[in-house]
Amino acid sequence: MIHIFSYRDNHYIYDTGSGALHMTDRETADYLRSKEGEEVDLSAISPEKIREIESDVESLVREGLLYREEVTTYPPKSTEIKALCLHICHDCNLRCRYCFADEGAYHSVREKMSAETAKAAIDFLIENSGNRKVLEVDFFGGEPLMNLDVIKETVRYAKAEAAKRGKRFLFTTTTNALLLDEETIRFFNEEMENVVLSLDGRKEVHDAVRKTVNGKGSFDAVIGKVKQFVQLRGDKHFYVRGTFTAKNLDFDRDVLFLADSGFDSISMEPVVTDLSDLQIREEHLPAIKEGYDRLCDAYLERYAAGKGFNFFHFNIDLEGGPCLSKRVSACGAGNEYFSVTPNGDIYPCHQFAGDPAFRMGSVFEKKIDGSLRAQFRDSCLFTRKGCEHCFAKFICSGGCNANNYHYNGDINVPYAMTCEMMKKRIECAMHILAQKKLAKE
Amino acid sequence: MIKTIAKPVKRCVTGCGECRSTCQSACKTSCTVGNQSCERVTREEKIEKRK
Repeated sequence: MIHIFSYRDNHYIYDTGSGALHMTDRETADYLRSKEGEEVDLSAISPEKIREIESDVESLVREGLLYREEVTTYPPKSTEIKALCLHICHDCNLRCRYCFADEGAYHSVREKMSAETAKAAIDFLIENSGNRKVLEVDFFGGEPLMNLDVIKETVRYAKAEAAKRGKRFLFTTTTNALLLDEETIRFFNEEMENVVLSLDGRKEVHDAVRKTVNGKGSFDAVIGKVKQFVQLRGDKHFYVRGTFTAKNLDFDRDVLFLADSGFDSISMEPVVTDLSDLQIREEHLPAIKEGYDRLCDAYLERYAAGKGFNFFHFNIDLEGGPCLSKRVSACGAGNEYFSVTPNGDIYPCHQFAGDPAFRMGSVFEKKIDGSLRAQFRDSCLFTRKGCEHCFAKFICSGGCNANNYHYNGDINVPYAMTCEMMKKRIECAMHILAQKKLAKE
Repeated sequence: MIKTIAKPVKRCVTGCGECRSTCQSACKTSCTVGNQSCERVTREEKIEKRK
């Protein structure tokens, strides 16, 4: 199938079968839209122009870059485990209103993971990783830095065990930055492939939701620490990651605030919450799409002025992107990626942690519930309802299992709100890709 | 006029698993597989350029 879209009077054709992106003029876009069944007035298009369009189309079809048949099958999924999210601390030193993790406690007791459990998780990962050479561990919470000693011990242990087996670990930590200090930053720079720091943007936006235990805003307590981190991080990976809610649908201003604060690697995610004043609902979609449009314009303006920044959702790789297996199986939660809670219990991912229906085993039991795993292993882009008609399918891979389950009660039924935002971001990303390419010519 | 902006250099199916887990990149809630690059292809390209 093809997807024709226009952005600020630029017209694009994306071919889902080949993954190719083309730019065109309004007449060609209109003509192809009419071919796709849309009602479009073609009276102004001359017969000569139509012959030209059809000749271009024929040529691209011959090259396999337009109307290419889509893949509908793929090789069986691997059962080798490649990544764990270690809930190193089910406690937090903040009380963010929208926290999906029950402000760190995950609807259970506040506790820290012991070094013994963390090491058992590392053993479990290595033993079940088959021929995988690159393994990943994400230190997650709650707030992981409340259990820094165990993180350090786990890193040392994982590296030593991996070396014995010819494997390599990539570590990530997600932190609210409250406990960051110079020594911890040095440790991160030595050991963490990626660090994700939570900061929601403008002070008033951040403080409205990201509260300390005493109910005060946390912006002033963390902004200096995040700046120090970024200054010392050099060219290593990090993301300053914000959450936007119904209270700041002008989230583009928060992204630009973060860029102006000197953070050049930014992610801003829609909130997942049941709180009615913060929850994003269908009526918010037009404002959110306008926000992405404004952000896209500002992104390109800054890029042209030599002040570009990296916005996670505006990245897209149409030339060297992921393989088909990845595009179809997405994050791999519940099959090649799992979460481990402080007591060693295994869940498909952090968003399912604490839900007894999704407990898949324990790192001490050394086995995983076969039937639950089969549900996740057998779920893929081709089992997702409605994805077959969507242009974004080979880019988004059918949405987040957890989002699908929490909103629709089924990991195979994508949440329409997420789909709408995803499609908008992908169109922005394609426009940016095209404009950057044209600027270089 | 139709101008091709981007097309896949190579459509591989490998599933070698060398790429980062999507959920560990940045978002934790709204991951997009397609904004990642294939790490193996990227690495091979870098090696090729150095030759």
